[in-house]
Amino acid sequence: MNLKNNATISCDLLVIGSGIAGMVAAARAASLGLDTVLTGSSSGFFLTSGLLDFLGVYPVESSQVLESPFNGLDQLRKQNPDHPYSKIDNKTILESLDFTARILSSGGLEYSSAKNTNVNILTSAGTFKPSFLVPQTMIKGSSIGSGKKKILLADFKGLKGYSAALIAQALKRRHMDVTTVTIQVPQLTGDFNVMRMAALFEDDAFLHRTAKQIESSVQDREILGLPAVCGIHNSQDSMKKLENLTGLDCFEIPGLPPSIPGLRLKNAFETHILKNKVRVFNNVKVAFTAFENEQILFTTDGEPFRTQIAAKGVILASGRFPGRGLAAHREVIRETVFDIPVYHPQQRSLWYQLDFFSPQGHPVNRAGILTDSDFRPVDKTCQPLCENVYAAGSILAHNDWTRLKSGAGVSCVSAFCAVNHFHARKKIK
Amino acid sequence: MEKIIETQVLVIGGGVTGTGIARDLCLRGFDVVLIEKKDLNAGASGGNHGLLHSGARYIASDPEAAVECNSEIRILKKMAGHCIQRTGGLFVAVRGDDENYIADFPGLCDRAGIPFEAVSVRDAIKLEPVLSANLIAAYQVNDASINPFKISIENMNDAVSRGARYLSFCKLESFDMEKKKIVRANVRNQVNGKAFQIQAQTYINASGAWAGYIAQMADISIPMVFSKGTLLVTSRRLARHVINRLRKATDADILVPGGVVSILGTTSLRVDHPDNIHPTVDEVDYIIDQGAQMIPMLATCRYVRAYSGVRPLVSAGGDDDRNVSRGYTLMDHERDGVDNFITITGGKLTTFRLMAEKTCDRVCEKLGVDAACQTEVIPLPATRSGEWSEPGIPHGGFKEFKASGDAILCECEMVPASAIDSIINSICKDKGTPDLSSIAVRSRVGKGPCQGAFCSVRILSHMYQTGQMSDTSGIQELKKFLNERWKGEHALLWDQAIVQSSIKEMIHCGVFGLELEK
Repeated sequence: MNLKNNATISCDLLVIGSGIAGMVAAARAASLGLDTVLTGSSSGFFLTSGLLDFLGVYPVESSQVLESPFNGLDQLRKQNPDHPYSKIDNKTILESLDFTARILSSGGLEYSSAKNTNVNILTSAGTFKPSFLVPQTMIKGSSIGSGKKKILLADFKGLKGYSAALIAQALKRRHMDVTTVTIQVPQLTGDFNVMRMAALFEDDAFLHRTAKQIESSVQDREILGLPAVCGIHNSQDSMKKLENLTGLDCFEIPGLPPSIPGLRLKNAFETHILKNKVRVFNNVKVAFTAFENEQILFTTDGEPFRTQIAAKGVILASGRFPGRGLAAHREVIRETVFDIPVYHPQQRSLWYQLDFFSPQGHPVNRAGILTDSDFRPVDKTCQPLCENVYAAGSILAHNDWTRLKSGAGVSCVSAFCAVNHFHARKKIK
Repeated sequence: MEKIIETQVLVIGGGVTGTGIARDLCLRGFDVVLIEKKDLNAGASGGNHGLLHSGARYIASDPEAAVECNSEIRILKKMAGHCIQRTGGLFVAVRGDDENYIADFPGLCDRAGIPFEAVSVRDAIKLEPVLSANLIAAYQVNDASINPFKISIENMNDAVSRGARYLSFCKLESFDMEKKKIVRANVRNQVNGKAFQIQAQTYINASGAWAGYIAQMADISIPMVFSKGTLLVTSRRLARHVINRLRKATDADILVPGGVVSILGTTSLRVDHPDNIHPTVDEVDYIIDQGAQMIPMLATCRYVRAYSGVRPLVSAGGDDDRNVSRGYTLMDHERDGVDNFITITGGKLTTFRLMAEKTCDRVCEKLGVDAACQTEVIPLPATRSGEWSEPGIPHGGFKEFKASGDAILCECEMVPASAIDSIINSICKDKGTPDLSSIAVRSRVGKGPCQGAFCSVRILSHMYQTGQMSDTSGIQELKKFLNERWKGEHALLWDQAIVQSSIKEMIHCGVFGLELEK
């Protein structure tokens, strides 16, 4: 969508931020018939694994990996009443995750879960990570955890940051039966790009050659693990074809960014919301100008053309430091759009622990925006700053998602609920 | 039966002094073994500015050291030119600085024979536009910057090529003593846990801040004082010259160019023990505030990391560690009743060669060998394996690597796979165990803005793919390396640096869940 100089765009809801929370918020708003504008940059998807976590670890201090998120949820709510999950009941959480899976499916990407339990997914570091909603191309890997499968791991010569041998050693430590094979890719020479690698999987001839190279390593193997680069636009088909050609079950192993599963996730979200008439302004930053006549006014920032946006409501899903929703200075952390007060440990000396891998996590990771039970940011007196401004996603306080493995879950759930609350309030009026 | 290694001289400590001694001894024809409990430059040699003093900093407090610096910097520029950048230096004062000190400066320089040139404030700002508008005085001197890792690597390489043996991760546990002599050193390999012995005619304690602990093993007490200094690395180079504050030496008053970055420091904080030190938020903020008085941009520029070193000082009483002599201390422990044991400690990077020379002279005397010091006349050869420790160098070679199909594993510092392979080869040649940390000592890996977030995994994967690593220690190795980087990061995370560290945590905790791995 193009922006015109000095034009004013009016909408029901402006969603600031094009990460998972922003995408879900826009999709939910569209499904409720709200006239919606989405701004922000979606480049953060390249950093995501493509897995949609819900709650993987609790309590974090004891590194307790949860078989089911619901096993930890009640304790989390009791001990941390300000956590976003403490504002929502289980039914609504499941409803919002189900909604997310459905919109991704409408965008061409299938995700599945295992009956309210977590799924342990092998990563390229050789670790297993508990997640909840898993792309179809990765789900078969969850079966190797039992230790009974005969596994074959493949890597590609020249693909940086991924080694089948490294993963195999980690699996052997868990007494798993694993062998490896390295696939040559003559098309790619030198310092090659992951995108080019992924695009090759959409070429049948490449799949045939790859299967041929694996042939002699198949022997008694039952399942084949590959780096998560197996196709961009039709990864599910590519995997099926590879399964037919090799005779093995296949699964992708997520790893170092740039993440192809993250790119697929972004594509699926975008496909869905564009189909549903959300107006998307890619890579557009907005600057708040005023509250006026029950509208919230913004101008686009840093563009050759300045456009005004007038919204009846706002979902602030601008993320944390990488998303630039929060900006850290030497003394203070600020919210970048409205300058909403940010909850954070006061002195910088308290932000981080000396152990990067401290299980309880770094205090600064619980920094963020405090909200009321409807996800409206509050001021120091705990009153909503504005009736129709909501916050969603990783910008919310009290959610150390890297430790809890709760990133996507909190984003989906808070976005879904925030939009519901805005919609309900609008209807009353 | 434990293995026994025999040699003429055992050098304890792989810092710039120890490696300098090893090379000096080899040039004089000695058989040498050097043991280091960690890896090259693990102590103060790796935790300093990389500054070669012209001597001007010490004219008031320690004129003798000033004279030594002036003479050593000339020798080093000739003998180890490839490790040195001839940056030149500036001494500058800002409004509020002690006018008497400024007025005395030229006279004190003259007395110590240190070349300097007065520069007008306008010209100084023309030379270095980052300088404060509050400048009131400026002098030009002959300071230079040196890559301390490169000089140690090259010293050791040259020593090894002349027959020395370098044993990294080998820690001295005790001495066997007999009749006023050390007869054996009991050493343990820290990687495989195996104990062995080294039998030498002479034992040299060049362990820097740890000198007191080593001497203690021979029942000798050295009153060491530990002075922690913290330094900050900017993400890009801010100035061409070394910039010193023209005042009595104190905190955060020197900015040194180090290739593509600048290094700001230091502090001087008394600590109880030289191990497990790291920069703190308070030190970082203090250094920035002080430095910004001289160079305002230091308040707003981006820093990529901080690090700390411990100055090994031999106490003469008193509280202010800056008054303890920065001159070196050479102790022949014959006077303490141990005939074949020498300690060399204190001193500074600039005078390491002289310290080595004096130590080796004493070894010659003790062993009745007539061999003159050669490090003044035989230049230090440049080797390939020292090259990758040099910031900025790989950039020029990038096209060549791209064309030859060589993957860039560290994209911040442009280190290709072939460089990693050659570093691994050289570590193996020294009978070391290549891992991420030892590769990082010998290259710029992990030192760029991403602080190891990406290159750690890429290099580890590369090592597994090429069979250079094949056991189950990969995850632990990755955690160890990232935690070591973290020590230098956690105190300066704001603005862009916190974005980068958040991404690192997203990958290594969010995706890999490494915090869950025991």
